[in-house]
Amino acid sequence: MNKYLLILVALFTLSCEKEGELTQKESNVSILEGAVLKYTGSFSPTSGVNASGMVKVYLDNGVYKLEIENANVSSAPDLKVYLSKSDTPTQYVNLGNFAGNGNSVYLIPSETVLANYPYVLIHCQQFNHLYAVAQLNVN
Amino acid sequence: MLKNFKIAIFPFMVFGIQQISAQGCSDAGFCSVGNPFKAANTEKKNLIEIGGVYGIGEEDVTIFSPYASYTRLFTDKFAVNARLTGTVANGSFGTRSNVGDVFVTGNYKFNPDANNLKWSGLLGVKIPLTSGNDKINNVSLPMPYQSSLGTFDIIGGLEASVKKWDFNIAAQIPLNDNKNSYLSSLSPTDKFDSTNLFHRKSDVLFRSTYSIVLLNEKLTLKPNALFIYHLGNDSYVNQFGNRVEIANSDGLTINGNLIANYKIGDNSSIETSLATPFVVREVRPDGLTRAFTFGLSFKQGF
Repeated sequence: MNKYLLILVALFTLSCEKEGELTQKESNVSILEGAVLKYTGSFSPTSGVNASGMVKVYLDNGVYKLEIENANVSSAPDLKVYLSKSDTPTQYVNLGNFAGNGNSVYLIPSETVLANYPYVLIHCQQFNHLYAVAQLNVN
Repeated sequence: MLKNFKIAIFPFMVFGIQQISAQGCSDAGFCSVGNPFKAANTEKKNLIEIGGVYGIGEEDVTIFSPYASYTRLFTDKFAVNARLTGTVANGSFGTRSNVGDVFVTGNYKFNPDANNLKWSGLLGVKIPLTSGNDKINNVSLPMPYQSSLGTFDIIGGLEASVKKWDFNIAAQIPLNDNKNSYLSSLSPTDKFDSTNLFHRKSDVLFRSTYSIVLLNEKLTLKPNALFIYHLGNDSYVNQFGNRVEIANSDGLTINGNLIANYKIGDNSSIETSLATPFVVREVRPDGLTRAFTFGLSFKQGF
């Protein structure tokens, strides 16, 4: 009887993962009218995954912002958007969690010397697997 | 006896209600090291325990941690315990719940029939069931919201029992970094410490417990003092990909804890615990922070 009770409790506990509503207000980053397009690029997938989409870097009121357009990337846990010095994630600036397929905008930290980071990567941090690479070209 | 009881309960009356921001001890397998092997009736070879611990953590995050535990006594000397934990955390980010860890520990009594000093040893592992990177709506959450530290740990310890006193020393050694991705610079709030790809240092523990048996041995009170020393500064990977040491995250935590165990049958009991810290580390990024904890559990031998 007690063994069955233990199994029931274990099953109950194992099935308890629940993600509630986000109650912390997120900062909404967007590209304002008049922003100047500085760099563009397009994503190429790494082997075994699908990835496509455009990358645009704007100078918006003295702040650099990165926009991803029409992204279509294979789903994976913990995808990040990196500005990178090379096409591998060794020296990079983490711009945050990939917001998902479609369009999204990311703030670039003010201390970033953009000319030193000619690549944009979509990288699964949890399993250290690179999903997509885009080389930035001066507009 | 009554005088001793008053002395033991006094610190909890004074400090237990203060809303201090400090580290408690949520890591049940480590902080309750040795407890699962204290069966009320050693003639029974199996013991189950079901319980939960409620606590108030960093930045008023409330944390409820249910657990289920099974102990098997293979011989008079050797027993194994398996414990499954979970967590429901609620705070300014919202509510997040998940399973936590599995602890498997073995306990060996070197001289169970000794009259005075009794020794036992403990060795175990903590297996995380998450990577310590739970999110809400794709927003990375700081460690107080995580159901697990996200690390595989080795736990080892020794216990000495003399009359009504128990003394434990133990160590908890993480074997890997977790996969948390919380960076305060990318977060809507900067109230929590960054713990992206968190590297946690080892802890050592010392606990002394005094048992007071009352009401014809039905009620046992166990006031105890728990000393935890964090053996170095933790670290994380910042937004620019560099590993950064978290200054002042090492050091000593001292917790006071009162356990009350009431026998409701020959083989079953209800246990409550109340704990609060008196001395804390200056910086506590690991999410084990509690202003106080209250625990309730049911134990059944069979």
